[in-house]
Amino acid sequence: MDKVAIVGFGTTPFRARWIEKTYYELAYDAAKLALEDAGIDRKEVGGVVYGIYNELFERQFMPDVYIHNYIGMGLKPSVRVATGGATGGAAVFVGWTWIASGLYDIVMVLGVEKATDNYNYAVGHSTPETLKAILFSGDMTFENPSGLTAAASYALPLIAHIDRYGSPTEKQMAMVAVKNHKNAMNNPNAQSPKLLSVDDVLGSKMITYPFKFYDNCLYSEGASAVVLASERVARSLSDNPAWITGVGLSLDKAFAGERDDITVFTSSLHAGRDAYRMASIKSPARELDFAELHDAFTGAEILSYEAFDLCGPGQGGRLIEDGVVEMTGALPVNPSGGLIGCGHAVGATGVMQTGEAALQVQGRAGKRQVKNARTGLVQSIGGPATAWTAALIVQRIEKTGAGTKKRIASGRRRKGP
Amino acid sequence: MIKDREKWLEHASQKIKVPQELIAKAFKDEIDGTPAMDAPLEIPDIMDITYKYSYGGISRFFRELRDNRRLYGSKCTHCGKVWLPPRINCNECYAPTEWVELGETAEVVTYTVVYYGTSTFYDRVPYVCAFVKVEGADTLIMQNIFLKDIKMAKVGMKVKIQFKEQRNGDMGDFWYVPADGVYDNV
Repeated sequence: MDKVAIVGFGTTPFRARWIEKTYYELAYDAAKLALEDAGIDRKEVGGVVYGIYNELFERQFMPDVYIHNYIGMGLKPSVRVATGGATGGAAVFVGWTWIASGLYDIVMVLGVEKATDNYNYAVGHSTPETLKAILFSGDMTFENPSGLTAAASYALPLIAHIDRYGSPTEKQMAMVAVKNHKNAMNNPNAQSPKLLSVDDVLGSKMITYPFKFYDNCLYSEGASAVVLASERVARSLSDNPAWITGVGLSLDKAFAGERDDITVFTSSLHAGRDAYRMASIKSPARELDFAELHDAFTGAEILSYEAFDLCGPGQGGRLIEDGVVEMTGALPVNPSGGLIGCGHAVGATGVMQTGEAALQVQGRAGKRQVKNARTGLVQSIGGPATAWTAALIVQRIEKTGAGTKKRIASGRRRKGP
Repeated sequence: MIKDREKWLEHASQKIKVPQELIAKAFKDEIDGTPAMDAPLEIPDIMDITYKYSYGGISRFFRELRDNRRLYGSKCTHCGKVWLPPRINCNECYAPTEWVELGETAEVVTYTVVYYGTSTFYDRVPYVCAFVKVEGADTLIMQNIFLKDIKMAKVGMKVKIQFKEQRNGDMGDFWYVPADGVYDNV
């Protein structure tokens, strides 16, 4: 397999609404920034993998075909990935395979989402309609009629976990909300940078038990793109590329009531194990320098600590209490602010977090830079009750020999593997 | 500014099936104001589709609910696992299943309380969504629990099935209530 590097990253700010841009205009902005960051022309891209979640958000089925045209990629290969909240991470996973297989040298992964063009006229707000658009992702026969929301879908495994372990507590979850909103203050693209207290979070209105307002991520609009490259091209474009050294993808039983243990994020456990194995990571708590986790809800971040073996079962709450996952701790989680602080522009989110991980290991993360960040984990969760997880390991690898002097940047399909 | 306000509102209301006064409120600035030519222009729109959907092989499950107030699961003819939601084959054995009637009682395995629902459920909040283990089934099913006090919800709670008077052949035809309580149909 070819080694795969991230050689460019571009993102729009995540916002509650981008009223002045359509989804393809946002996609264009992210693509342009990513190409500029990589130092390549659009013509050098071998193909594009799109991450777009919800057709009803975009008011368009097959939105990828219109983006592909709009950003000047006509006749190049393209495929769209749609795996719920995990869309961005899964799109990077697919882009990785296009290069690892030896088929292409340069692949762009472009995630985009609108979310608040839909509008509930009776309430005078988009949220109830946005929730309704998401609810079509629940099984239409057996789950949609119960009024399950995305938050409820996460709360169900969490409540079972709390019942078994007495953790995470509402206070521990509130501490995650405080951390991620605070981390977002260092991210100029973040939607919800805020200095909050634990009491602010605990006192905010109940959305879905046990999640209060500040325990939830927000609906965001935005687009993010990364440019992936094979080793020979990556070495010619950058002295210091970020390498994707491990990937994992898992889809658990969609009817969560069929799972063996509803308290575990089992797809994260499996995707994580695969990614760790590929990257030769044996002791993740010691070897990881930071993680960008899918904190759609505070409790999900804590259960993810456990699924990714950063601590034992039921111990996740202690990582936040002991400060381990704070920016000043041994393993900062979500330096970008994550979904809670930066935002959740669904298809773009995992791409943004992958790009953020690249900035970290390249030492380009500005005020949110984790000191000596060499190895990071990226997690994307999606689907009913966290069914999907895509996991990536992003690493800096010290250069052993001299880089290729001659610039090679043709991403066209190779003649043969 | 929209020149013929009445005609525009009438057209919009027919198109998106929303009363004119609500549309007028949402588009006040565009109707009455003088936005710049380059300012973002929003339009009333809808994505709508109707169905005559077939339940296929699990049709009996919904006919039993609707016509007989009975809850059925499906039992694998090979391994004996009882599925709920029902299915006509087993994904572990790749063998067919047969219908079995399930009990009236169930246990709450996990739950949550939704305080902020979708448009469809806006009038029902707060409500409980739970995974319950129905007597006789080997898997859990998602269903609503109706409680006099929402704070009564807890893991391990014993509940019993209650059928709606007017049943339509969908999952809204039944829900669960505490096993030891007496509740009127909601």
